Amino acid sequence: MPQPTSSIAAPSDGTAVDAATILATGQHAAELGLFGLVWLDTELLARSRFGTLVDFVETGRPVTDSLPPLIGLEDDIQALKETPHRVLELPAVALVTSAGPAPRLNFTVFWISTAERFLLLVYRASSRSDIEVELTRQVRGRLIAEAEVQAKSRELTRANAELEQFASIISHDLKAPLRALRYLTDEAVEAVVNGASDDAGRLLGEMRHQAWRMSRMMSSLLEYASTGRKSDMLTMVDTHALIQAVVTSLPKPPGMSIEIAGSWPKIETLEAPLDLVLRNLIDNAIKHQDRLDGTIRIEAVDTVTQLAVSISDDGPGIPPAAHESIFLPFRTLGGPTGGTGMGLALVRRTLETLGGRIQVVSGRDGSRGTTFLLTWPRTISQS
Amino acid sequence: MIARKIMLLGEIGVGKSSIAKRLVLDHFEFDYKPTIGVDVYQYDVPDDAGRPGMRLIVWDTDGNFGDAIFRHVYMRQASAAMIVGDVTRRGTLEAMAKLGEGFLDAFPGRHFTYLVNKFDLLAEGQLPDLPEPLTRKGISLVRTSALTGDNVREAFRAAADIIHRRAL
Repeated sequence: MPQPTSSIAAPSDGTAVDAATILATGQHAAELGLFGLVWLDTELLARSRFGTLVDFVETGRPVTDSLPPLIGLEDDIQALKETPHRVLELPAVALVTSAGPAPRLNFTVFWISTAERFLLLVYRASSRSDIEVELTRQVRGRLIAEAEVQAKSRELTRANAELEQFASIISHDLKAPLRALRYLTDEAVEAVVNGASDDAGRLLGEMRHQAWRMSRMMSSLLEYASTGRKSDMLTMVDTHALIQAVVTSLPKPPGMSIEIAGSWPKIETLEAPLDLVLRNLIDNAIKHQDRLDGTIRIEAVDTVTQLAVSISDDGPGIPPAAHESIFLPFRTLGGPTGGTGMGLALVRRTLETLGGRIQVVSGRDGSRGTTFLLTWPRTISQS
Repeated sequence: MIARKIMLLGEIGVGKSSIAKRLVLDHFEFDYKPTIGVDVYQYDVPDDAGRPGMRLIVWDTDGNFGDAIFRHVYMRQASAAMIVGDVTRRGTLEAMAKLGEGFLDAFPGRHFTYLVNKFDLLAEGQLPDLPEPLTRKGISLVRTSALTGDNVREAFRAAADIIHRRAL
């Protein structure tokens, strides 16, 4: 076995005997398999080795040939010469090749200035007990489970907020027609008792109207509730054909013009929700227009991740104070539109469910015109 | 054969070791064994279309480092990184984006690839819910399954091509 002691034994400082003794002891321990020693020259060539643990190290070759984990660390090893009190440690490293994994080893590199050599000490990483491994596995399993619980918790919070909103809508907005029905019923009963058949007929007609109104509100609510369920299938949609079909299908005054501009791609997406969003926004722009010769401009910008659409009109505008409330169920700005006030609520809920967004720009400084800006994600998760 | 170092980064349990085992040993272990310390895998990519053969030294850390990995001695002279996430766990995909940004900050000019793993767990036709940074133009993203082996070796071969082309 090659002996590096000649370089160590130079008795320049009177410690040579001690160093030689230490080295001899170390080599003996290495031969017993307690650890392995490799001497490296300043070019990081393996010059000699001791111990079965480093049998795989080829002498006369760069140490990185035998020990790929040291690749990239050459500069750090060389830097040890400048700070001899430091060592480079790579704990618990296992090398895996196509032949299979090697034992997990600890590597420590020292600079031995008296020998002008690097010494690589290799010893087995303390084997982990089954209990430790199992504990680590369980801790990690718990971390993963916690992350999933947090995600579910966020979803639950969102669902609870929606439930509260629903309860509020049902208790507040549906109360009005119910209250009207109760009063109308009382009045109709009184009219029948008094023999006022004309009044009774009128009151029954109003009752029918209130019942119809409630029915429409319930239908809208059911549609709103089902918006979050992504049951539609993804299909290839020509968005230009879609927007043209939507515009053509909506009734509008003869003097009104609608312009379609921008880049409308073909994308794999959910067609019905996209139709719903565009239809409601354009229908709104038409219905709230107070001029016979109004103009609506619809423009799309296609990006890598989303389709951005702006729908602008030159109508009366929406006051900033109403920019949030218009997206709540059963809220309208008034006027003879004949709507239930659910259109924009449906639009926002649909977009938020699918990962899109909407915002309104209007009514600044009392100026006319409204622009709805929406983003529609190009990738839709159905998970 | 030249050797280049590639880091496997990603949250715990995303399948880093499974990807490395699929790459080197071409098998999949159903029994999840967390990595303790670091496993260094050696995989030789054969020469191909003008690129000489390349020995990839793939470092699989135990996933508990977070951003600190970029300051660790393990990362020295890494030519590239494979940043792994679990397609069924949104949080791990968001962590991928952060690791990608951290890698670019720490190693400007080096290459990284996002490996969106466990694609076999998605239902047929189901699309992944990827965070926006992972879908940006020019980003290198590969959908993998360590279980089936889909795209694993292809991803590392492509990384070797880029390392060679850009002399990393």
